[in-house]
Amino acid sequence: MNTDELTSIHVDKSIDARGTSCPGPLLAAKKAIGQIEKGEVMEVLSADEGTKRDIPKWCQKKGFEYLGTIEESGYFKILLRK
Amino acid sequence: MANKKLTLALFSGSVDKLTAAGVILGGAAAEDMDVDIYVLLQAAFAFKKENAMVNDRVAEITDKKDDFLASLDRLNTPHWTEAFKTAKEMTNVTIHICGFAGKVWHGEKLDDFIDLADDICGIGEYMASAESADINLFI
Repeated sequence: MNTDELTSIHVDKSIDARGTSCPGPLLAAKKAIGQIEKGEVMEVLSADEGTKRDIPKWCQKKGFEYLGTIEESGYFKILLRK
Repeated sequence: MANKKLTLALFSGSVDKLTAAGVILGGAAAEDMDVDIYVLLQAAFAFKKENAMVNDRVAEITDKKDDFLASLDRLNTPHWTEAFKTAKEMTNVTIHICGFAGKVWHGEKLDDFIDLADDICGIGEYMASAESADINLFI
């Protein structure tokens, strides 16, 4: 998915983990995933470079759909579907 | 399907290695792994109630200790006890104090250690846990 497609996706839950370092964003995602329903979309905001690789791997292991990452100024938006 | 299991032999009582252990526990918690931690020798010192929050020893690159500790603050890194606590809240983590290690540091009872500790045990339990673990680490 390109950035325009990712930007157009409706986000059901947004988690701002920009104030934390690894594994903070991953743990924030883990905590929040229980608050959305199957099929809903969550975005994780992270300023931690490692999160870009952690979340896709975590999605693969947990059976979630990693949708893609949008690079913003100084942080990333990482989108996934439960 | 049963959760995967991480067994951690935690020897170090220094905040650099305990912080690293906390990061790994975070990864295990994110994946719902079951975790068994065996607190051995120097780590038992760090787990004593009177030491846990004031111990600021580091094991590596000791000449940069002040820089290291300042960076942990700058990056809002949780204290290792907080990282362990978070992992316990998010997945099945059991912390065992080695009975011998406890005695070395004058800790005879579970109450001598921080509340994160679940029990005092012998090395046989570690061996059984390690045999059945998917990942077995020594820190």
